[in-house]
Amino acid sequence: MNNTLLSLTIAILFGIGTFLILRRDIVRVIIGLGVLSHAVNLLIVSTGVFSGTKVPIITDDGGHGAAEATGSIFTDSLSQGILAPIIEAGHHVDYVDPLVQALVLTAIVISLATTAFILILAYRIHEEYGTTDIRELRRLWG
Amino acid sequence: MISLSTHIPIILIATPILVAALMILLRKQPGIQKVLSVAVSFVMLILSVILLSQVWSGGIQAYEVGEWGKYGIILVADLLSSGMVVLTSFVSFLSLIYSLDYIERKSLSASYYPLFSLLVAGLNGSFLTGDIFNLFVFFELLLLSSCGLVIANEQGGVTKSSDKMEATFKYLVLNMLSSIVMLIAVSSLYATTGTLNMADISVKLSAMSAAGTLPWYVFAIALMFVVVFGNKAAIFPLHYWLPDVHPTAPSPISAMLSGVLIKVGAYGMLRVFFLIFIDTLDIFKPVIMYLALATIVVGAISAVAQTDVKRLLAYSSVSQIGYVFLGISFGSIYGITAALVYLANHAVAKSMLFLTSGGIIHHAGTRDMRKMGGMVDSAPLMSLLFLVGAMSIAGMPPLGGFIAKLSLFDAGIGEQYYFAIGIALFFAIFTLFYMFRAMLLMFWGEKRDVEKYGEYSHHGTSLLMTLPIVVLALTVVAFGIYAEPLIALANATAHQILDPQPYIDAVLMRVVR
Repeated sequence: MNNTLLSLTIAILFGIGTFLILRRDIVRVIIGLGVLSHAVNLLIVSTGVFSGTKVPIITDDGGHGAAEATGSIFTDSLSQGILAPIIEAGHHVDYVDPLVQALVLTAIVISLATTAFILILAYRIHEEYGTTDIRELRRLWG
Repeated sequence: MISLSTHIPIILIATPILVAALMILLRKQPGIQKVLSVAVSFVMLILSVILLSQVWSGGIQAYEVGEWGKYGIILVADLLSSGMVVLTSFVSFLSLIYSLDYIERKSLSASYYPLFSLLVAGLNGSFLTGDIFNLFVFFELLLLSSCGLVIANEQGGVTKSSDKMEATFKYLVLNMLSSIVMLIAVSSLYATTGTLNMADISVKLSAMSAAGTLPWYVFAIALMFVVVFGNKAAIFPLHYWLPDVHPTAPSPISAMLSGVLIKVGAYGMLRVFFLIFIDTLDIFKPVIMYLALATIVVGAISAVAQTDVKRLLAYSSVSQIGYVFLGISFGSIYGITAALVYLANHAVAKSMLFLTSGGIIHHAGTRDMRKMGGMVDSAPLMSLLFLVGAMSIAGMPPLGGFIAKLSLFDAGIGEQYYFAIGIALFFAIFTLFYMFRAMLLMFWGEKRDVEKYGEYSHHGTSLLMTLPIVVLALTVVAFGIYAEPLIALANATAHQILDPQPYIDAVLMRVVR
């Protein structure tokens, strides 16, 4: 249920973003890019795992014994089907994936910078051309 | 005592970022900025050559940032990446010297130096990184810094600032879309394999492929990467931004964009497809080949009709990157060798042509070739240098372009791709035609008075502008006359690309702290 809802949200956001970047107004194109980048951020978060309850902190004792609440590094072993560094494949997932949060944070910061730049660019285009209609932007023929 | 030689990969990325910050602080002292930026750029060139020679003699170097093993970010210097870094440092050093006199003073101090350093950092980073999300971060770094550089004002103001805004808007929107596609692809790869390290992804995908459980969506991810790198390299359906952006940028930036930045796409294609998606290559080789052929055809035909000298060179870049992708799509050792030789030759010759066109534009005060003429008398050195570049791009025998085209066509015939080689050969003749048409329009014909050439023609080309072009021209000639070292390097690189096992071993044989 939860996953269906998340997938639907991502799909709708992608739809809205695609619709907006096909508009003729520069500002709508920029808003569309923002919506698309948020859709991608949600997609990245959804690739992580949330059902775990333990914090993904690596300890020296390999997660056994006293530090039951922490994770451990699994050495990759393809024959046993162990792929991810922390989650053991085929086992019940005990740990929250820490990486996707770092990824999504980076992606948000980058999209902030590009959006700020492109908004200033749109303002300058409005100054130079006196319009925000994208059809007027054709002094250069590709 | 820290040994410097093992830390070169991180120095090549960290130094330009640090210098960019310093440049902003030093914006009131243009003299210090000038000396510092040129000195740092020269040191980077030397360091990159040292890195290449280390990799050549000592094998692939992997540098762990933060000692997290394969779970952290790893910088990997193999022959391909260190060779590309040498190319970047060489072209950027000469472009920087050229821009000292070409870019307007105020723009130079306030934004040009820092952004140029960031661009170099982004290029070096995307070549050296071994982490696919990190590749995305460096792509964004070089996208934003190149956007800022396209807007930079040149002396004389030949290009209207409204044109620059329009070109940058197109560039930025298309590249933001492509980085969104890249994020989708990267996160899907992460969801499939649970790692972002390229060598690790490669091991896991080939294990899945050997077990017969390669998921179908790996092909979709690979297609997304074709879109991403195709957009960076401006191959056929995604090339429309390039002829707007490269001509409106100031000439040294055009040289960087055409010389190095579109090669990032070719590099990414080589790295990602021959390391990660080896098992999908059977499907994607023909796709890349037909896209490359379409790129060659569209670029060459469009270039014939141009009247703006820099737009002609930009369309020529579109056509030439098609030849590079054609070599990549052969997928054999000889094909990739030829593609790499072509890439290096085109990078040097095209950056030289863009720098020369900057000199010509300064002389004439216009970019319209129909308003020029008889410049062989008024600017003899520029016409000689343009001839060298044009002959190299067209593939005339004594110069580097001939060796590149010869080995590419030879590789194609050896692999029996007669149809593709036929098209490529036919449009190589187009290259000859449009290059010499530009030559005739600009340098021969009716001589015009310098006074007619607008108000900035007195500016002339200074020594600092001529010297980089001469060095690049000598490199073009050297690549043609003494091509063996380049071919040997490209051949060794191609062997390394097609056998990714040493790369994987160098990255994965590490213990976590």
